[in-house]
Amino acid sequence: MKQLFLFLLLMLGSISYSLAQKSIKGIVTDPNGQAIIGVNIIADGAPKIGAITDIDGKFNLQLPNKVQSLTFNFLGYETKTINLSDGVDDIKIILEESTKLIDEVMVIGYGSTSKRNLTDNVAKLTSENISNIAVSNFQNTMSGKAAGVRINQTNGKVEGGINVRIRGTSSLSQATEPLYVLDGMPLINQNESSNGAVMNPLLSLSSSEIESIDILKDASSAAIYGARGANGVVLITTKKGKVGKTNVSLNISSGISSPTNVIKVLNAAQYKELFTEAAINSLGEDAGKAEAEGFFDFVSNGTDWRNGAVDTDWGKVAFKDGSQSDMDLSISGGDAKTQYFFGGTLNKTKGIILGNDLQRLSARMNLKHQLSFKISAGMNLGISKTIIDRVANDNEFVTPSSSIEQSPLSPALNEDGTPNPNTLYPNFLLEDRYADFTTNLHRITGKVFAEYNIIQNLKFNSDLGYDLSNQTENQYRGRLTPFMATNGFAYNSNAKSENYIWSNYFTYNKEINKTSLLTVVAGQEFSNSDRIFNSVSGVQFPSDDFKSISSAAEITQGKGSNERYNFLSYFARASFMLQDKYFVKASIRRDGSSRFGANQRYGVFPAMSVGWLVSEESFLKDFNTISLLKVRASYGQLGNSEIGNFASKSLYNGVSYNRGSGIRLTQPGNNDLTWEKSKQLDLGIEFGLFKDRISSELDFYSKRTDGLLFNVPLPGSSGQLGINKNIGEVENKGIELVLNSKNITSKNFEWTTNLNISNNTNKIISLPNNNADIIFFTALYRVGHAAPTFYLPEYAGVDPNNGDALYYTDGKGSETTANYSEVKPVLAGNTQPTWIGGLTNEVSYKGLALSFTFVGEWGASIYNAFGKFTSSNGDFFGNQTVNQLNRWQKVGDITEVPQARLYGGNGNAISTRYLQKADFIRLRNVMLSYDIPSSILGKVKIRNARIYLSGVNLLTFTEYDGFDPESRADANSLGSNYGIDYESAPQAKTTSIGLNINF
Amino acid sequence: MNHLIKYIVLLFAFVTIISCSKELNVEPTLSISDNVALTSEENIKKILIGAYHSQALEGNHGGYLQIFSDLIGSDNQVSWNGTFYEPREALNKSMLPNNGIIGLMWNSLYESVNQTNLVLDHLSVIKDENEKTRVEGEAKFLRALTYFELLRLFGNDVKAVPLRTTSVKDFSGDLSIKRSTTDEVITLIINDLQKAAGILPKENGFYADKYAALALLARVQLYLGNYKAAGGAAHDVIANSGRALAPNYAAAFNHDVNGSEDIFAVQITSQSGQNVLITFYASEENGGRGGDISINQDYLNIFDDPNDVRSKFYYQNAKGDFLTNKYVSQFGDIPLIRLAEMILIRAECNQRLNTALGASPIDDINSIRIRSSAAVLTTLTLGDIIKERQRELAFEGFAIYDIKRTKSSVASLPFDSPKLVMPIPQSEMNTNKLMEQNDGY
Repeated sequence: MKQLFLFLLLMLGSISYSLAQKSIKGIVTDPNGQAIIGVNIIADGAPKIGAITDIDGKFNLQLPNKVQSLTFNFLGYETKTINLSDGVDDIKIILEESTKLIDEVMVIGYGSTSKRNLTDNVAKLTSENISNIAVSNFQNTMSGKAAGVRINQTNGKVEGGINVRIRGTSSLSQATEPLYVLDGMPLINQNESSNGAVMNPLLSLSSSEIESIDILKDASSAAIYGARGANGVVLITTKKGKVGKTNVSLNISSGISSPTNVIKVLNAAQYKELFTEAAINSLGEDAGKAEAEGFFDFVSNGTDWRNGAVDTDWGKVAFKDGSQSDMDLSISGGDAKTQYFFGGTLNKTKGIILGNDLQRLSARMNLKHQLSFKISAGMNLGISKTIIDRVANDNEFVTPSSSIEQSPLSPALNEDGTPNPNTLYPNFLLEDRYADFTTNLHRITGKVFAEYNIIQNLKFNSDLGYDLSNQTENQYRGRLTPFMATNGFAYNSNAKSENYIWSNYFTYNKEINKTSLLTVVAGQEFSNSDRIFNSVSGVQFPSDDFKSISSAAEITQGKGSNERYNFLSYFARASFMLQDKYFVKASIRRDGSSRFGANQRYGVFPAMSVGWLVSEESFLKDFNTISLLKVRASYGQLGNSEIGNFASKSLYNGVSYNRGSGIRLTQPGNNDLTWEKSKQLDLGIEFGLFKDRISSELDFYSKRTDGLLFNVPLPGSSGQLGINKNIGEVENKGIELVLNSKNITSKNFEWTTNLNISNNTNKIISLPNNNADIIFFTALYRVGHAAPTFYLPEYAGVDPNNGDALYYTDGKGSETTANYSEVKPVLAGNTQPTWIGGLTNEVSYKGLALSFTFVGEWGASIYNAFGKFTSSNGDFFGNQTVNQLNRWQKVGDITEVPQARLYGGNGNAISTRYLQKADFIRLRNVMLSYDIPSSILGKVKIRNARIYLSGVNLLTFTEYDGFDPESRADANSLGSNYGIDYESAPQAKTTSIGLNINF
Repeated sequence: MNHLIKYIVLLFAFVTIISCSKELNVEPTLSISDNVALTSEENIKKILIGAYHSQALEGNHGGYLQIFSDLIGSDNQVSWNGTFYEPREALNKSMLPNNGIIGLMWNSLYESVNQTNLVLDHLSVIKDENEKTRVEGEAKFLRALTYFELLRLFGNDVKAVPLRTTSVKDFSGDLSIKRSTTDEVITLIINDLQKAAGILPKENGFYADKYAALALLARVQLYLGNYKAAGGAAHDVIANSGRALAPNYAAAFNHDVNGSEDIFAVQITSQSGQNVLITFYASEENGGRGGDISINQDYLNIFDDPNDVRSKFYYQNAKGDFLTNKYVSQFGDIPLIRLAEMILIRAECNQRLNTALGASPIDDINSIRIRSSAAVLTTLTLGDIIKERQRELAFEGFAIYDIKRTKSSVASLPFDSPKLVMPIPQSEMNTNKLMEQNDGY
């Protein structure tokens, strides 16, 4: 630590520069007259001479007489060359903001560049693309907007986990989420939910704080993040103050939401009919009738079911209309020396599921100050608090969405308004009324940073980032909740994760002639992550008025753990542009991590890329149709180190038996365990036609990941269930197409279309134990097939002669049988889509604008694991989906639904009967806005104002019969990665109205 | 350019200074590694406690073993009202290799085997000879108990289960292992129990003692039809263990500490152990799922005296189902071997051998009946004894084994039907190349 201070002091030494013959000074501003700091000025013909503008935008140069012109160059602005005239020694230069697509600023790791210079595949989203969309997390706002990036929310719970897959799934068992980096700081993204349902840890971030999101997709861009880059990197840049007048921005919106779809189940009359029939079929006329009626007597809880006294629509009880309101206020601005942004946001979301709400408060301040011509420093700080009222995970009886399985004969409430406890399955309303589960998420992300311009072309950055995520969960279950025999139960937990990262790096920029540029970045980084977890459970409360754990007469469980992991890394990157048209870039990173086995502690991750801006060549320059043509190629190696902190070690844990302590072997060790390695090739072509009226990017990629970390299943007879090994290889190959078209660009009317579509083919190349199949639940990992693929017995429909469910003994076309034990499972479909796409249209006429985004996914299947209960032709008394009415009833009936047989197990075993295509097209968001004309606003001192109507998930086209083709089971115990739906709540459909004002 | 070089040199100097790679050695705080766990006396003894802990898990004697044995052995004595399809498969005698609970039981039992083998392989770490003997005895008792369950559930007359007698510590190689013969497994069980009975202390708290080993030996010998050995071991326990029948039938169940009748019980507390007998037999008020398993009239019909306490040892849930009173205390211990069983074994063996070791069969049976206010019997047949076992030991995991050893039938299936043997779990078939599936699956 001391050494660094010494070093920084040394750095403060000043630098002098050479003398020349003529003197010229001036000022550089933007079109509004605001000074631009840091503009590069190059004396043409004298490559060693140049300057950068100071904090007032001024410069002063001594030039040899032979210099005839100066070139002004600044990222994000059009480059300008000024001819010097004799006798003029004070000049004023105005730089225009760059509008060309190719000059767009792209944030890359440890720096930024222009799209022109980029030889990587990076997708950029700006605040315009993601703002004012009525969702409670920022990830959903990216959906459908970047090629090859698939974004789904696990289900419709407000805090539901988010799955982001960049170019397919390149890990089979470990983390597949990208690395999120906020202003240079890798974010903690660990699910800390303790109720068994995955939660989105990045909920704490409000999309209104975000200026831009850059998604690094290929190896060349992500390799600078080394052992953490294999799943792609999402770089988030927060809003900063801009030089100029103070801007006060206020945004208020409010909306209502409802489920996109609720499964249709039988009403009371249909229920009675089906189950009476089912009971008679199984037990005979008299016994069957008695069984059914006995059950109806119980489940109707004393109401007159024979005369239809009760017909409860449980879907309407479990789901409700939700609402969403957002407010954010920010103030930003600055002068040449200091720029600031500060703001706060408030989000209140009432979920579509009874008992599921969220409230988030967040604030951010970003400050940057120019201490001197050479040194600038600043600090970013974001704080937030999120409170979530939660419901049970999908595998619990008391999760609201599974209540559609309750009998419609059961009243939801008693006459006195209390929940009816005598239902077939525990009534979730008891849990809703007499229990609560609250998650409090506190987050602080911040960094202090300094930049020192050592000499004109060399700068040094030191960033110290800090991330704190603190999640507390408090649960109390009262005396009247289902399965309660302990006079109350309370659970409190606190998970605190803390991460600091210190990055130091040099950036060297050298222009050679005025058309060639060398940029070198080299640095070092150390990061430390700590996680402390404590929890305690207690039972026996004096009464339900006492809910705090201190009142528990008996503490039944306490947990505490402290985990740590460190990374020590060095990195370097050099990029070179020759004559404005040839580009080459190379980068390397060396990562060491405490997570890896003792024999495998360090890894090196190199990458290389080249690009050629063909349209700058003389032979194309005069060819007006083609405004841009660029080809690029990259290759590199990346790692996935999200393998758990102690996955390599042989572990024995403490256990207890009758209040005595014991030790249990819990994990077999493996000293050779290391990160998963990905090698990725990307070939891309970018072109623009008719002055970029039409522009397009086409990429092909191939990503091979080997050393896949597997918890390789062991024979249970060994005493353990699995061992972590780096075995196996998977390949993701695909193409991505982006097409942007400015269909109409007249003065008042504009229409643009952006389309992205991508294909990904996932294939397993090798697996542990000599490529032995690995099977989890209904998912199969087999060489040559996508990971994982559904592996199910093939359902063959119904025997018309007797109503028996039939299965193919060995896949379609083979013999059929009613005896399930003779049936072999077969490969039955993909768990991941092969094609994904997004289509955005923006139409504007004067102040009126309409934009809408469709997203689509094709090629995946979904397994409705709940079907064996709710679509089982009356196997048990749980309510059935309406399509079960098409059951076989008499000889000759041709149907897919077997004869109803109570307790009969007729067709509800695991099979493709419950597998369906998950293809969908969804109107992800739509926005209609109107800018109030300035003629009206001028009088009330408002700079601009906009009112808007915004919609999310308003339309869905799918053939899937479940709640939602995007929803998957959120319970870890159900295998959420295997394409399983388990009455998983549908996504919310939201319509909101908002107002945005800038003063 | 000179400056540039200067700074680059400085950068490297700086980087080397803070690059202490010691930072990359991070040890877990929650767990310990092999070399710590297996080298100290304290830790080896704690691994033995870990083996007891695994006995109290749901896939083990925490309850699925007993529940599945009784469901397979039931025709219409009980109903399955729950939604879990796995126990229903057992009741319907239509078990499948992918039955998750059967997989859980297999894995849990073998984890227990490995825990006991870890202890037995590292006995030399324990220096105190008395302690070493005690630990060896307990580990052998637990290993025999576990293999006996594996054998009865998954084996038949010829083919048993894989026999591991040493611990697995290195899991990186091929761990395939073939099934041993039934004789090999029985030999290990009997050797382990005889050894344990010889070296265990007569009193050992709630852990296994000499009489637990003898009592289990009696149970094993009875199952094998070695009535002389079974009766002898049972008599030893009755005469010498100091256990006595609980004063009334209810007192034999639902307690937090071992009662006078308990020879060995699985200890459950609110903090450890998983009691799924409660989960499936008890009402919601008693901590269960509301009565997934309920008692039918067919069971109640076997009682011959309406005053028999055991014929009324049930309560009704909201639906009106009859639920057993044996499991109503959520965190109560699970009796695994009760003195009543020993008396029944001694009676049966005496009856079969026409002897009167310790007591006449009719006196033994009547001692059990008197405790439950049932009329005393004046004549006794072997059939009466088997019925008495059903009245006394129902829902404690004996049903299918009594059917098998007495060569009777259940649900029109003969005792040796392959449907009454559990399938080898699919997970084991997938990973163990040498594994053979049971007939009929």
